[in-house]
Amino acid sequence: MGYRVGVDIGGTFTDFCAFDEASGALHTLKVLSTPQKPGEEVIAGISGLNERYGIRPEDVTYFTHGTTVGVNTVIQRRGITLCLFTTRGFEDVLEVARLKMPDPYDLFSGRPEPLVTRDRVFSIDERMLFDGSVDEPLDEASVEAAIEGVRSVGGEGVVVALLHAYRNPAHEQRVAAMIKAKAPDLTVTCASEVWPVIREYERTVTAVVAGYVQGRVAHYLGSLQEALASAGVPAEPMITKSNGGVMTAEIGKQECAQMLLSGTASGVIGAASVAAETGSKAAMSLDIGGTSADVAIIRDGTPQYGIGEVIGEFPIYIPTVSVTSIGEGGGSIAWVDPHGVLKVGPESAGSSPGPACYDRGGDRPAITDAFVVCGFLGQSALGYSAVSMRTDLSRKAMATVADKIGMGLEETAESVIRVAVSGMYLEVSKLVSRHGIDPRELSLIAFGGAGPMMACYLARELGMREVVVPRVPGVLSAFGGLIADIKNDFIRTVYLDLGAGEALDEMRAVYGELREAAMAWIREEHGYDGAVTLLHSADMRYRGQSYEIETPLEADWIDDGDADAMAGAFHAAHERIYEHADADAPVQIINLRLVVVGTPPKPKFAPVESSDATPEPVASVPVYYDGGTHTASVYARGDLKAGQTFEGPAIVTQDDCTTCVLGGFTATVDASGNLILSREG
Amino acid sequence: MAIDKVTLEILKNHCRAAAESMAFTLYRTAHSTFVKETEDFTTGLTTPEGETFATPVELGATWFVGLNYGTVIRMIDHYDEGDICMTNDPYSGHVCTHSPDMHIWKPVFHEGEIVCFVVGHIHNTDVGGAVPASISRTLSEVHQEGIRIPPAKVVKKGAFNHELIDVMLANVRMPEQNWGDLKAQIAAMNTGERRVHEMIAKFGVETFKAGIAGLLDYAESQARSIMATLPDGDYFFDDYLDEDAAGGYPCRIALTLKIRGETCVLDFTGSDPQIESSVNMPTGGQPRHALLMVGFVYILYSLDPTLFLNSGVCRVADSILPKGTIVNPEFPAAVGLRTLSVQRLQGVIFGAFVQAAPDRLPSSPASGGPIMNVNTIDNRTGRRVMAAIGAISGGAGGSPRGDGTEGSGANASFLKNTPVEINEAEVPFKILRYGLTQDSGGAGKYRGGNALEMIFQAHAPNTRVTARNRDRSRFSSWGVLGGRAGSHSRFILNPGTNHEVDLGNVDILSIGPGDVVHIGSGGSGGWGDPLERDPAAVLWDVQRGFVSRAGAEKSYGVVLKDGAVDADATARLRTDLAGERPAQEGFFDYGVNREVYEKTWTRASYDALTELLATTPVHWRFFVKHRVFEAIDQISPDQIVGDGSDVRAAFAQVVEAFPQLRAAMAA
Repeated sequence: MGYRVGVDIGGTFTDFCAFDEASGALHTLKVLSTPQKPGEEVIAGISGLNERYGIRPEDVTYFTHGTTVGVNTVIQRRGITLCLFTTRGFEDVLEVARLKMPDPYDLFSGRPEPLVTRDRVFSIDERMLFDGSVDEPLDEASVEAAIEGVRSVGGEGVVVALLHAYRNPAHEQRVAAMIKAKAPDLTVTCASEVWPVIREYERTVTAVVAGYVQGRVAHYLGSLQEALASAGVPAEPMITKSNGGVMTAEIGKQECAQMLLSGTASGVIGAASVAAETGSKAAMSLDIGGTSADVAIIRDGTPQYGIGEVIGEFPIYIPTVSVTSIGEGGGSIAWVDPHGVLKVGPESAGSSPGPACYDRGGDRPAITDAFVVCGFLGQSALGYSAVSMRTDLSRKAMATVADKIGMGLEETAESVIRVAVSGMYLEVSKLVSRHGIDPRELSLIAFGGAGPMMACYLARELGMREVVVPRVPGVLSAFGGLIADIKNDFIRTVYLDLGAGEALDEMRAVYGELREAAMAWIREEHGYDGAVTLLHSADMRYRGQSYEIETPLEADWIDDGDADAMAGAFHAAHERIYEHADADAPVQIINLRLVVVGTPPKPKFAPVESSDATPEPVASVPVYYDGGTHTASVYARGDLKAGQTFEGPAIVTQDDCTTCVLGGFTATVDASGNLILSREG
Repeated sequence: MAIDKVTLEILKNHCRAAAESMAFTLYRTAHSTFVKETEDFTTGLTTPEGETFATPVELGATWFVGLNYGTVIRMIDHYDEGDICMTNDPYSGHVCTHSPDMHIWKPVFHEGEIVCFVVGHIHNTDVGGAVPASISRTLSEVHQEGIRIPPAKVVKKGAFNHELIDVMLANVRMPEQNWGDLKAQIAAMNTGERRVHEMIAKFGVETFKAGIAGLLDYAESQARSIMATLPDGDYFFDDYLDEDAAGGYPCRIALTLKIRGETCVLDFTGSDPQIESSVNMPTGGQPRHALLMVGFVYILYSLDPTLFLNSGVCRVADSILPKGTIVNPEFPAAVGLRTLSVQRLQGVIFGAFVQAAPDRLPSSPASGGPIMNVNTIDNRTGRRVMAAIGAISGGAGGSPRGDGTEGSGANASFLKNTPVEINEAEVPFKILRYGLTQDSGGAGKYRGGNALEMIFQAHAPNTRVTARNRDRSRFSSWGVLGGRAGSHSRFILNPGTNHEVDLGNVDILSIGPGDVVHIGSGGSGGWGDPLERDPAAVLWDVQRGFVSRAGAEKSYGVVLKDGAVDADATARLRTDLAGERPAQEGFFDYGVNREVYEKTWTRASYDALTELLATTPVHWRFFVKHRVFEAIDQISPDQIVGDGSDVRAAFAQVVEAFPQLRAAMAA
C-alpha cells in the first residue's frame, strides 16, 4: 500500500492532496507557486508532505498533476515562433476568425493579434473538396517554397491546416512528411490530427494553440519526470486533462492541447464526485480564488462539456469541461464611480499586492477585505500562514469607500459584498437561462479559497436551498485529479443524412475505425490494461440548422443500424434543450464521437467519525450582515463529526479556507464529511 | 422615494439579468435558423410608460437600446393580467420598423397595478408579401412587404387569441417557423415577468419602482457627463447612399449636430425626400426614435464603455426630422430594407461627432457589405438548395488608438460568418478565396481596416445570387485628419477574363456553371496623415500582405529595400509627396468619386433643392428630384455654377413641364 498524490498548480498556491491507501485518510498541503521555476513547487510539496505527514517519496504509487504551463505560455505569449500552412486563397483564416467582435456596442472592440501573424502564413497549392475527393493535387513545389518561407522568418514550428482535411488528411500528412524530411528541426502539427472536425477557423486555431505551446509543455513535463525520479517518486506522473480525465505525461508531451484547462476541469471533477456523494441530481460548482470566480453545471454527477472554451485570448474546440467565469474573485476591488455608484471589479488586486489585509502594499479594498471588516475573516490565518491578515489595513482601505458613499464601515463592507454577489448573480443568471435550468433546484458546491466564504450570499441571491462545502475545499482541484478516470476523445466529421442505408453503413465503418484508435490509445499508448468503457455520441441537427446537439448513442443502435432509435434520441435531446422538436424533419449527423474511459480503482476513504453530540464552538465573535451585528459561533472543521448540526450565523475554519454560515442556514456534517448548509426556500 | 446608490447598482444587475435571461430563453427556444444565426431579436424591460430601462448586451441586435414602446402601449386601451400584445406594422406607433420584426409586450402587474412591461422583438424569416423573406429593395409600398398587424392582443388573460394567430399564419410562407418563434417570444416574456416578480419580492415594490426611475436617471447622468466632455458647436456632416433606386441617383442624408453643454440636437434638415424603394427609415418623426439613436449610442458607449445602456442615454438628445424625407417617411412608403440606410445614418452621426472629438473617435467603418444568399441546384440530386453563405462585412476605421480592425468590426461587430467548409458542405459550389483585400483600408497614420472578399464559382445553371444591403460601390468610407477614404465595395462577374462585368450596385444576379463571382466590401477610412505613419508599421503591413509595396510608396511614402525600411529614400519620398499636396486639405477625405460629384452637387445646390422640394407635395418629391437631376445631368460640368442657381433653373423647368405639379402645389 502506498499514497496517491494529486497536485494542482495555481497562480498563487500549489495544492497537494494525498490519499493514504492503507488508512483511507486524506491529507492536504499548500505551498507557494514558483512560476519562474515551474516544477520546483512540486518538489517543495513532495518534501513538505514528507515533513508534515511522513509521506515518503518512495511510497507515492500514483501521482496526478495539473499545470498552467500551457495556459501561461499563451497568456504571456512565450511560445515558439510558429508558422501556418493553409490552402491558397484562405490565408486570412486567423485574421478574419468568425468576424464577430467581443463587445458589439464598442466601436473600438477588436480581436487579439493571432499567435501566428499573417507574415508567417504560407500558401499551399492543393484542394480537397467537402466529400474528401481531390480537386487539385498537392503541388510539392509550393510546399518547398513554404518551407523556405519558414526559414526566412525564423520559424521554429509549423501548423498544417488545409481545407477539408478533416475528411481527407492525405495532403496534410504528405506536407508534414515533407517538412520532417527537409527541415527535421521544425515541429509539425497537423490540424486534422489535433481535432479533425469541420469548420476551418475552429480547427486551425485549436491546432495553432497546440503547436504554440507544444515545445514548452513537453519540456516542462520532461523536467517534471526527471525531478520526480530524482526525488525518488516511483510513480509515472499522470497529467490531468481539460476533459476531466488523465493521461500519462509521456502522452501529454505529444497531446498538450488536451491539458490546457486541466486545473479548472479537475476542480469540477472533484465537485462532481462531491455531488455524487451527496446525491445531488443537479449541482453547480463554485470555485472562487484570489483572481477568478468560476462556475460549472453538474447533472447526475457528470459535468457539462463545452467547445470553444477560452485559453488566454483564444478559443479551442476540443472537449473541455465547461466552466464559466462569473467574476474576478476575492481580490476584486471596490470603487465608487463619478455618479456616486458603488462598483466592485473588474479590476483585481490579484495575488500581488492582494487585498489590503495581506499587507503587501494594497491600499484599495477588495472583497476579501469586506469579509474582514464584517468579522468573518481574520479569525485564523489563511493559507497555512503563508499570508497573515492585517484587519486594521482592511478597515483603513474600506474607509476610503465608506467616505464616498456616506455609510458606516461595516455597512459599506456589506454593501461591497452585496454588489459583488449581484454581479455574480447576473452571470449565473445568463448561464442557467442559456441551459434552461432553474437555479433553485441546484446544490451549490463551494470550493477554492473564497468559495465557501461567499457561497451563502450567492445561494440566497439565486434562491438555492443547499450549499455543500467539501472536506478539502481549498485543494479540490488536486483532489479531482486524484480520482479522475483515464480518458480520451475521438471525433470524425461525416455529414450524413440519417436514415439512408449507406449512411448507416458509413457510420458503422467509421465507428469501427474510431474504436480501433481508441483501444490502441488506451492499451498501447497509455499502457492501461483494466476495464474500458466506450461512450458513443453524435453531433446531430435538423437539416437547415447551423448548430448541432451532441446526442449520446447506444453501441447497439450503431451496430444494428437502428436509425429510428438514433433519431428518437436526437428529438428527445432537442426537446429537452430547446423545448420543441420535429419528429418529421430530416436529421443530419455532422460528427461522430467516441470517448474511451478507463477507470482505475477509486480511493476508499476512511469513514468519518460520527457523533450526535452538539458541536462545541471554539469561540464566539461579532459579525455584521443584513444590516446588523450578530454573534457567530466559530467551529474548527477538524472538530466536526458526521451527523453533527448547528445553526448560522457561524464561521467554520480550516487550514485552507473559511466557511461563512449566514443566519437562516443550518449546517450539517454528512456521512462523507461534507458540510451541508441548507435553508428553507 | 429616491433609491440609494448601492441598491441601485444591485438592482441594475438584477434588471440586466432579467433582460439577459429573456434573451437567452428566446434564443434557446426560437425555431428559425435565421434567428439563431443572425441574433436579430431583442428583449427588454420598460417603464409603464414604455421607456426601456434594461436591455441585454450579450445577445441580440444592438439597435434597440433607446426603444420606446409608449406609442404602442397606449394604442391598447385596457390591459388585464396575462395579456400579451403584438404588432409588426411600421406605421402603427413606429416601434416596429419593418414588417418582419414582430414586437410583443406584456404588462407585469403587482397587486392590480402595472409596474412595468416586458418587451421584445424577433425578425421573422418571412411575413408574406410580394417576395420570399418579405424584403426587397424594389418594393415601394409597405403593402407589398407582407401582412401588417396593428397593435393587438395575441394572448388575452393567458389564453391565445387564435383568430388573430390564424390570420397571421395564413399569410406567411413558413407558418410553423413564425408560430414557433412566437412561442419562443412568449416564453421570453414569461421569463421576464417571473424575474420582475422575484425582484419585487426581494427589493419591495416601492424600491423597484424608484429603482427603474433611478436606472434611467443614472444612464442619463452618465450620458450627460460624456456629452459634457465634447465642445459646444454646430457640426455638419452628410453622406450618400449610392442609389435611391436601382440605377437611380444618390440619396443624401444630412445632419447638423448641435452640441450644447450636456445635450445635443440632431437636425436632419437637408436629407433627401422619401424614396420609392424600401430603404426609408420609419421614425414617425419621434425625436428619440431607436433607429436614430443607434449611432448616437455607439458613440457614447465607445467614449465610455461603463455606460449603462437604456433609454435614459437618449434623453440628452433631441432631433429635427422633416416630414416626407428618408428619415421621416409618410405612409405607405416601403421600409423593408431600412438596414441599408440606417447603417449610412449611423455613419453620418459618426461623421458629425468625430469633428467634435477627433482625438477620441475613429474614422468611418466600412459599410454596405452585403448579406449573401445563393440559390442553386445540386447536380447530384437535382434538389434546389437555398442558403445564406454569410455576411461580407468590412473593417473598422482607423482611430487615435490605432489601426481599424480587419474585415469586421465597429458597427457591424455583431455579424458572424459561415465557415467555408460549412458553405461547401451545404451549397454545391466552390469557394476560391475568402479573406482580406490588400490596399483596401484607407491610408492614415492609423490605417483603416481592410475589406473582406469572397470569390466563388457556380456549378449549375440558373444559380441565383442575392447580395442584400449592397452599397458603397460609388461613394467611399471617409477618412479624417489627413486619413484617406477606403476602397469601394466590389461585385464583379468573371474577374480577370474577357467577359468580366462590373456589377456596380446590383443586388440580384443570375449565373451559370463555371461563372465566377467576386464580392467584396469596401475598405474603412484612415485616421491622420499617412506620411506620419511609423515606417515600421508600414513595413509590418507589407510583411503581412495588408499593404502592397507599391501602396507603401504611393500612400505612405515608405520605401522598402531588402525587407527593411530605406530611411533615406523614405525621407526623400515623403518630402516630395508632401510637396505635391494641395495647400489646404479638409478635415475629411471622401474619395475621388464624391469630390467629382460634389463639384456639381455642391452644398449650396443641395440647400436649394431641399428648399424647393419642400414646396412640393410629399408624393411628388421623389419624382421631382429625379427630373431635376436629369436636367442637371444635361449641363456640362464646366458650366455648373454650384451656388444653387443651376438647381433653381432646373426646378423651374420641371414646374413648367408639369402642369399637374403646379396644380398640386397650389392645392
